[in-house]
Amino acid sequence: VINRRILSVMALALTISLGQPILGQKKGSAASDSIKIPFETYKLPNGLTVIFSVDRTTPTVAVDVWYHVGSKNEMPGRTGFAHLFEHVMFTGSAHVPYGLHDRLTEGVGGGNNGSTSNDRTNYYETIPSNYLESALWIESDRMGFLLDKLDIAKLNAQREVVKNERRQGVDNQPYGRVSEIFSAAMYPKGHPYSWPVIGSMTDLSAASEEDVKAFFRLYYAPNNATLAVVGDFDPAQAKAWIQKYFADLPQGKPVERPSVPLGKLEASKRLVYEDKVQVPRLYIQWHTIGIKNDDRYALSVMGSILSGSRTARLTKALVYDSQKASQIFSFQNSSQDVGVFQVIVTPRPEHTLTDLEASIDQVIQKFISEGPTADELQRAKSGLELSFLRGLESNLGKAEQLLNGSVFHNNPSYFSTNYQKTLAVTAADVKRVAAQYLTSPRIVLSVVPNGKKNQASKAAESEAVTMVVGNRRGGRS
Amino acid sequence: MKQQKKALALAAALIISVANIAALAQQPLDRTKVPPFAPTPVLRVPTWTKTQLANGATLIVSERHNLPLVSFSITFVGGANQFEPAGKRGVAAATASMLSEGTTTRTGDQISDALQLLGTGVSSFIGGEEGSVGFVSTAKNFDATLAIIADAMLNSTFPAEALERLRARTLVGLTTAKDQPTVVGSQVFAKILYGDAHPYGQRATETSVKAITRDDVLAFHKAYYQPGRAIITVVGDVSPLKIKSSIEKGLAAWTKAGAAPSFDYPKLPELQPAKIYFVDKPGSAQAVFNIGLPGPPRNTPDFFAIQVLNTILGGQFQSRLNANIREQKGYSYGVSSGFGFGKGPGAFRAGGSIFIDKTDAALIEFMKELKGIVGEKPITDEEIKTAKESLIQSLPQGFSSVFAISSALTSMAVQGLPEDYYQTYAKNVSAVTKEDLLRVAKRYIDLNHLAIVIVGDRAKVEPALKATGIAPITYIDIEGNPAGVN
Repeated sequence: VINRRILSVMALALTISLGQPILGQKKGSAASDSIKIPFETYKLPNGLTVIFSVDRTTPTVAVDVWYHVGSKNEMPGRTGFAHLFEHVMFTGSAHVPYGLHDRLTEGVGGGNNGSTSNDRTNYYETIPSNYLESALWIESDRMGFLLDKLDIAKLNAQREVVKNERRQGVDNQPYGRVSEIFSAAMYPKGHPYSWPVIGSMTDLSAASEEDVKAFFRLYYAPNNATLAVVGDFDPAQAKAWIQKYFADLPQGKPVERPSVPLGKLEASKRLVYEDKVQVPRLYIQWHTIGIKNDDRYALSVMGSILSGSRTARLTKALVYDSQKASQIFSFQNSSQDVGVFQVIVTPRPEHTLTDLEASIDQVIQKFISEGPTADELQRAKSGLELSFLRGLESNLGKAEQLLNGSVFHNNPSYFSTNYQKTLAVTAADVKRVAAQYLTSPRIVLSVVPNGKKNQASKAAESEAVTMVVGNRRGGRS
Repeated sequence: MKQQKKALALAAALIISVANIAALAQQPLDRTKVPPFAPTPVLRVPTWTKTQLANGATLIVSERHNLPLVSFSITFVGGANQFEPAGKRGVAAATASMLSEGTTTRTGDQISDALQLLGTGVSSFIGGEEGSVGFVSTAKNFDATLAIIADAMLNSTFPAEALERLRARTLVGLTTAKDQPTVVGSQVFAKILYGDAHPYGQRATETSVKAITRDDVLAFHKAYYQPGRAIITVVGDVSPLKIKSSIEKGLAAWTKAGAAPSFDYPKLPELQPAKIYFVDKPGSAQAVFNIGLPGPPRNTPDFFAIQVLNTILGGQFQSRLNANIREQKGYSYGVSSGFGFGKGPGAFRAGGSIFIDKTDAALIEFMKELKGIVGEKPITDEEIKTAKESLIQSLPQGFSSVFAISSALTSMAVQGLPEDYYQTYAKNVSAVTKEDLLRVAKRYIDLNHLAIVIVGDRAKVEPALKATGIAPITYIDIEGNPAGVN
């Protein structure tokens, strides 16, 4: 997920939740009673879906709009466009001059941001509750009237900002190119998940005014948007304001959603990439499944049985017992149409990536043959309740839960399904997904110091990464 | 022309009549009008009780019953800067991290498994001027989690093999940090500003981490975790009476000892004339900027004026620095400024990551904005109004979770702020005048003595950087020592 701004609470929360075990709950407690977010939802005649959730605890409110469009909707040669467009959405619209948006959010003690993933783009304001109407006015204006005052100079300035975002997050970041190396290696050319959300320098330079207009008309219509209002507000009043500002925005054409095939590797592949780093690192990825497939629950439980806590299988074996690794992570990452399971390991000096890969394989082989113990399973689920409850403390967190459910599952209370189905995962489920997915072909990527290809895992069999998605030196400004 | 007008009038009449028929007596929406806003909601500052335990620790309790959650922390006044012996930087962090490595009755694995079953994780850290142990748990698991954290804090055994494992992992972390230009930038910046003799200029290094012994850890543990300097903060779904007895019971073995340390720092090195300190990282796509100098401590009477000043200069998205360097010029993904308020002379720092080809141009803009804020571009009434509104109205956000409330209340106690700090915050921010802003800008943003630390590709930027004539350039290595000299 790529953000308009560097500092993002959401991004922070995500990092933390990835780094920590997914948790669990004690047997027999009535935890599920607390797993609820009261909400109401309705649709305007123009297709805009609206979700309300009232929480008067703090006199603040979050307005959060999801457009069901992400980098996977881009055309080849225009990678990074969905995210560049996200930046354009902050350059002002017909009736809201540039700068006023920030003045009416951060300038009154609130905040705003947007982010783009492969699957969706979001925009939000967090504000004192007396500024709800102006936030709705701003969101309606850029949904309806962005193109009326499209400013090409501002588009160009944002293009440079995005190139700098790429430099900061990818090019000038140790190990920063791993994610796009995997995107390109895991999927065939042209597959909608085969390019990075941030896009390439060349493509960013190529985006035209016409591209902006066409993209807006197709994807930024009310029928492709879902609006959530969460926090301290009066629903009747909010409904009236939404009627006032959104109801007359014209419905757009229906958005086609071509079915996207799951990723599949015919054979395993080994890659090596030289980077400006001193410590090598090994990454392994397998294709799994996306959010629509129920195996995701068992895969995510498996992630926290394998790593996270100090007694997790991989952590215990590599960091504590043999002490070959300084860190190890494993997790399932589910997108709308596809998914991957990933292991990342950093060696201690004197231990080779080849050795670490073999150790990881040993742990995984053993896990596939015996499955998790009852204790492991229980521990892996024990933090779910607390993590959900803490999510309820944030208006924006709740808005994101409801929107995720509404947009991807047509069910705002999908969080509850997610919770129940994760709790219901059995040892046999975990054993089965381990056997099914972790034995399939995979990509093993070694990132090594410049000039040290021999440090790669099984260096002789590893192929140097040649693809240049990012066109590192392509920035021209 | 005329005909056109007629047609328009006709069309208008038609629209009006249609509207009449539909009986929608509604005014057409004028979207150019900024919607009105209701008065600012009344600030609801959480209430709390503050008592002293028999062992000398301060107990702060604040109730919040909307969710079955509790935030618990024990915060220690004073940190690595006050308690680490010379040459042993890193022992505080090592001790904090080893609390979970095993106690007289639990192994490290058992602690980890028990906490995981309770669904929570315990945090344990020691920074420069304070340290803490804490957790957020469900209300029903509070007592059980407290029992584990108390055991870890009081009865840790610090196994020798755990120290070796931690040391090896820490050394890997120090190596990877050297590849991270933003980390190198802030480390070098601290060293240039404060020098080796001031704790603000020191950090854990390979040498100091290798020098730490188990005895150092044991000694640090004994000296540091004492109730006389502790603030225990509990926020959430609890009753103050019951919680006090829970805590007295849970921490019964923790007996009276210790007091808050003094924060006497050595004198700062003499300020140097403005200079560019350049760290060469060949092949860098960006130049990492850190520009600044030592500033005032948190207890300065200028605190509120500085808050307003920094909000205008670089505390927000539309602050002068970001509005210019990111939004207008497109040189960066984001630049900012801030004051590092603590017990000592925390730094004023402006900076960000800049496209390498724009290193010189961006430096010119940084300097333009710094000169601007100290008088060349006078601060406007509108800027002051926005900054004050923003600061005052952001307060409720700081009370939006049990953890946020706990942090707010703890920080008041650690910094020794008055009990009505939040109630009087708006008044204090409002009282800042334009004259105050100019005065503090001139005082704390001393253009003649700025350290300009840049981490980037020397070969690519040197001629252009020299051509700016902004300040002489000196080259240093990633440790902050003169380049080419060991």
